[in-house]
Amino acid sequence: MNTITRNAIIALGITLLIVGTIVYTVHYINQQRLSEINTMQTQLSTDTLSLETQFALLENAPCQDISSDTVFSHGLSTLGDKLAFAEGRLGSRDQQVIELKKEYALLEIRDYLLIQKLSTTCHITPVTVLYFYSNTGDCSSCDRAGYALSYMRKTYPRIRVYSFDYHLDLGALKTLIEVKKIKPTLPAFVIQRKRFYGFTSLARLEKEFPKDLFATSTATSTGSQK
Amino acid sequence: MWGPNTITYVSFFIALYFESFLLVTFLSEPARKRRLTERNSNTAPSVAIIVPCFNEENTIASTTESLLKLEYPKENLSIILVDDGSTDNTANVMARYARHPRISIHTKENGGKHTALNAGIRIAKDADIIGCLDADSFVEPDALGFAITAFDRPEVMATTSAMSVHAPKNLIQHMQYAEYIFGITMRHILSSMNSLYVTPGPFSLYRMEVFKKIGYFSHGYQTEDMEMALRMQKAHMLIENSPRVRVYTKAPSTITALIKQRMRWTSGFLRNMLFEYRGLIGNPRYGVLGIGVLPLSIFSIITVAGLFLFSVFQIISNMIHMFIVSRGIPLSYILTPHTFDWFYFPITTLLLVGIVLMSMTIIFMIIGKQISRTPGKLTKSTASYILLYWIISPIWLVRAIADTITNTHHTWR
Repeated sequence: MNTITRNAIIALGITLLIVGTIVYTVHYINQQRLSEINTMQTQLSTDTLSLETQFALLENAPCQDISSDTVFSHGLSTLGDKLAFAEGRLGSRDQQVIELKKEYALLEIRDYLLIQKLSTTCHITPVTVLYFYSNTGDCSSCDRAGYALSYMRKTYPRIRVYSFDYHLDLGALKTLIEVKKIKPTLPAFVIQRKRFYGFTSLARLEKEFPKDLFATSTATSTGSQK
Repeated sequence: MWGPNTITYVSFFIALYFESFLLVTFLSEPARKRRLTERNSNTAPSVAIIVPCFNEENTIASTTESLLKLEYPKENLSIILVDDGSTDNTANVMARYARHPRISIHTKENGGKHTALNAGIRIAKDADIIGCLDADSFVEPDALGFAITAFDRPEVMATTSAMSVHAPKNLIQHMQYAEYIFGITMRHILSSMNSLYVTPGPFSLYRMEVFKKIGYFSHGYQTEDMEMALRMQKAHMLIENSPRVRVYTKAPSTITALIKQRMRWTSGFLRNMLFEYRGLIGNPRYGVLGIGVLPLSIFSIITVAGLFLFSVFQIISNMIHMFIVSRGIPLSYILTPHTFDWFYFPITTLLLVGIVLMSMTIIFMIIGKQISRTPGKLTKSTASYILLYWIISPIWLVRAIADTITNTHHTWR
């Protein structure tokens, strides 16, 4: 074997070693990301369960023990942002991402139901938005709608947005879609129990929100959410 | 299957493989031996150094002075200044050396650099070795002594030097300084596999028999030095490199001038390869040059240009998408910076491969500086290179490809 051939083989070995190390590193980092999401989800799940339990224990009178900070924690939306980022990185067909999305959707539904209960009992007046999107190419204005909702959520802290992948194969989500009678015309919104389809502009979307939201909320330009 | 992403991954893999191969070759015996070469030649063949000039009034004196300081037996060294029909004060500056015993001056009508070189070769018909030095370049006093050592091996037909940028001042010149230092290592490694395909204008030396056997310089699509090297390779002549032969050249100081210079080099390379020396590409008879260096050079020019255009297209598409998505949203929200979170840091395979490639490039620069003992500091130049090269270089590649396809020719100056 001459020197050049030997060098070519050694170089191939070095290249494969470098590429292997890099691929492993990126995989490890992505797994760490999913692990962080999982941990956040577990923590939020525990918090939600704790609230549900408190609610059951105090029987319709938990209001003084539940601070509005807890109810309106940013945890859920931060988790949603991180999950969306992980989905962008690993792809919407990644099995781990799909499982995490299902857990997240479940968490959102539980939180939504709890908020509904609390708002009735404790006179907390959150503005809830159920937002149904799709990333399979059948929703041309979902990006715009999602961005507009992010803006509203950050600007008006009373708004609580629950985003759902319309096509996610999850029984609870299908039931929610059925109960709320959501048609597959996306994007779809349920704002304060009222259905609304399509997105044209932020101004048009704002019209669907209760007027007192803009009168009483303090617009913020900073926040902890992404 | 062969979308831009796949092409990017394949290109990065090939680039990584090539750099690894160069690094291994650098460490292997043939290259190591060459680095140990000292200025120990007992022979002093007669050397004629030709300086072709066209409107070089500002640099020709310094170039000539640097040649006069060469440490070489005076009786065996002659300097031939060829004025290729300059329209500035070059002739008058040259005239100052008219009475110098080792300098001969020849004036001719403008016909291009290759004609000036050929005129010089005809004058130097008795010389054993012909050296060429661009009129905007300067040699170290010990340069010729080191260069001649390469000719101790009878099979060596030409030798190239270690070029670097003379007194870099602005960022563009510093960027080129780093690039040239990188080039010193490249030439050193490639020469150990006889894979050089350019004998640059700044101080390359040839045995006289080269011109007798394969002819004089030709136009070579404005890259006569490349065409000569390719012709030599085609004739299976050995081209050596001497990293201790230091020569400094004036580098373009503006982006426009740099792009123009590099367009000439790149389109000259493409035209020579595609129209004159296609038979060398992929041909195992020409060793690593044929099966590796030339195909990879063409591949890299095309892919870098293609990926650059694709990136520009993607950036514009993303900007349009962002504009559409954020339409109607207050600017104060859009421009609010997000809180930094490592979670969102975009660590991707391509980013990490890019970092490895850049690190290897920097290692090659450090090596280049060490083996040539070129003066100057690398820090600022490396920073300029990292900052600017990836933005500017694709521009000349794209334009050179376009010129080659459309058969467009530009004047050199």
